[in-house]
Amino acid sequence: MIGGKIAFASGMLVALACGWLAFPRILYQTRPQPVDFSHKVHADKAGAKCEDCHSFRDDGTYAGIPTLDKCSGCHAAAMGTTAEEKNFIDQYVTPSREPQWLSYARQPENVYFSHIAHVKLGHVKCEQCHGNEGGTGALRPYQQDPISGYSRDIWGRPVSRIALRTEGGMKMDDCVNCHRRQGLEYSCMGCHK
Amino acid sequence: MTTTRRNLLKFVGGGAAGALLTPAPWRLITDTALWSENWPGIPRPARGEIHARFTHCTLCPAGCAVRARCVNGQPVSLAGVKPHPISHGALCPWGIAGHHLPYHPARVRQGPVKEALAAVARAISQRGAGERIAVLDLRPGRTVSWTNRRAMAAMDNGLYLAPLQPAYSIDLTEAQTVVSFGAPLFDGWGTPGNVFAARANFRLVQIEPVETRTAALADVWLPIRPGTEAAMAAALAGETTIAEAARVTGVKEEAIGAVKEAIASGPAVVLAEDPASPLMSLNAKFHALGRTVVARREAPIPEAWKRAAPVNEMAAAPDGAIRVLLIDESLPGGYVPWQDIQPKLAANAVVVVFSSSSEGYARHAQYVLPAPVYPEAAEDIGPAIDTVPAVFRIAAPLIAPVVPVVNPGELIARIAGLPQTDPLRERADAIHKAGRGTLLNYADGKSTPVKQVSADDFWKTLNQGGCWMDDSGKKAAPPGFSRSVTSPAPHDDLPLTVVAAEARRGGLESPLMSKLERESNLRMTANRVALSPADARSNGIENGGHCVLETACGRLSVVAMIDAGVPAGVVEVAGGPRMADLCGASQRARVVRA
Repeated sequence: MIGGKIAFASGMLVALACGWLAFPRILYQTRPQPVDFSHKVHADKAGAKCEDCHSFRDDGTYAGIPTLDKCSGCHAAAMGTTAEEKNFIDQYVTPSREPQWLSYARQPENVYFSHIAHVKLGHVKCEQCHGNEGGTGALRPYQQDPISGYSRDIWGRPVSRIALRTEGGMKMDDCVNCHRRQGLEYSCMGCHK
Repeated sequence: MTTTRRNLLKFVGGGAAGALLTPAPWRLITDTALWSENWPGIPRPARGEIHARFTHCTLCPAGCAVRARCVNGQPVSLAGVKPHPISHGALCPWGIAGHHLPYHPARVRQGPVKEALAAVARAISQRGAGERIAVLDLRPGRTVSWTNRRAMAAMDNGLYLAPLQPAYSIDLTEAQTVVSFGAPLFDGWGTPGNVFAARANFRLVQIEPVETRTAALADVWLPIRPGTEAAMAAALAGETTIAEAARVTGVKEEAIGAVKEAIASGPAVVLAEDPASPLMSLNAKFHALGRTVVARREAPIPEAWKRAAPVNEMAAAPDGAIRVLLIDESLPGGYVPWQDIQPKLAANAVVVVFSSSSEGYARHAQYVLPAPVYPEAAEDIGPAIDTVPAVFRIAAPLIAPVVPVVNPGELIARIAGLPQTDPLRERADAIHKAGRGTLLNYADGKSTPVKQVSADDFWKTLNQGGCWMDDSGKKAAPPGFSRSVTSPAPHDDLPLTVVAAEARRGGLESPLMSKLERESNLRMTANRVALSPADARSNGIENGGHCVLETACGRLSVVAMIDAGVPAGVVEVAGGPRMADLCGASQRARVVRA
């Protein structure tokens, strides 16, 4: 009788360990970013603000991750002597090759998200959705769920989504919850059009 | 502890119970659903630069302003333009899904252009005295319509034909009471954004036999007996007693009286399902002319164009006289039933249709040439029925045609030997030269008097997202209306009155919308009719049963739906050219089991 209970408990413990500890590790594929970029260095040393590089175009659309043209505006030649800087100049700037950045916040194809509506009209801070990305010294590796094809940031860092911070995820639930908290409208056609 | 089969099963059971307390199974359910969206074969738009571009929708005469979100130059979503003073940032569901049209699986993709040109040239050279070359333009009022008219003026015996266009516009902002005889005010009439912007200020009285979407949203719906609109109109005009109208129409006396009082209490306007209906003459009685019903205004045209051929209705063409008929069906517009066209054709007539759909006149023509669809072609859009000022707006193409197409205006001009010019630019220059009105730029929402803009900038803004509006001058009364209201003649063999379920739109519509409509049954598909339970029972027809719809013009196999919302004595028919051919010239029908 006791042996049976021990067997049941053992099975449960193994499943809990697999589900809570091993599953999150094996769920995501990890890939490095093409360039070892530091937001912190650009903010501290160059005094850059988010919108200096992640800018809006004249027609209101959001430019997203800056292209090489933007980087080359300052980095036409090496600025400093670090190995990362030399690598960036040699691999990308000199041959005019766009770095293939991996976007943490890329929404699926069926979602339309307007940055200008949120940032300029809604006065939402970048950090509210993207966390303290702008203060990090190095880019985190990009983690992708190979089944859904989504970035880990969309689901949120904790696989269980328990005790998720406000800026912790970018799922539809997160958008809707934020709109509910602010007393704003939300409807299917707002994003899925 | 010994390893027994029982303990092993308990271990597995414990594992299963434990797994349910972890995020793994729940997450895998979500992931599996998302994975199903990533199957191979699901089309994916290209990644690339995102830009906004502006144009105007040509799917109906409303011509709503459109802001297209383009990725890598490809439009991926359409939305309205908020500062636009007429469309007010609104788009209908068809407009929102309009960028799917070029990829419609049923689109006409090729056509015998050389053979058609040779046949037309042969017919022109061999035509007898008095035989005519005609263009039937289903969307008159455009700049290309002027090209067609000029082409017909340049040819011997040229004839320009078009469905009758109202010579008036409706100013809903001035109306306190709107009396609608079946006009689908909230379902495709006029400019959707304009109608809903004015909605708060008027009471809508909808008079029609079936509870349509507009009737359901009206302040008052008067379910009238089909075919008795003339009696109701006479009572509202004070020409017969309310009691007599109530007896004929089946509407309560108090309801008719209340409508009369509402009309007398302030500015009113009468609308009819057919803008050319004699019911519109009630507006003169209600002193609406010059106030809520005003003369239609058009943008200026170059002086040389004023020698263009006049606009004629199909009935004006002599019987058996048209040797060559060129039908411009490139944009959805009016539809002239084939029964009205056929008698006008000569025995050896050549009929060429420019269309993207094989459903309309393509069924009757010898040559079907593929026409561009929205948003492939540069077009302008004439004023909608609820547009009071003169306007000029260009539907700038958002993509290059995805199949080889023939531009109807260019080909007709070529046949007539007109010099190859850019008529849109010529007209824009004529408007600029007139120096009236303002130019609204959608990008910044600013209006600038035309006098302050150079001709080149005027043209550039019109093409990149802008609209010219001329609201100068006093509103004028339109020409008078015909007053003879006739009811469909009773017919013993055809006991049912035909009521159209919706505006009969031609051409392709978004495949997405077609799918939604069919799956949700939101709209009747082209081969359906709806009957009252009593009429269905008396004819032995079951819901979903195959039947034959018969009118004086012919027969059509249909699927019957039994709908308690359809009154006895009425058959509600779907839109589309097949139904229009069958029911357009005859409003009496019968439905029999197949």
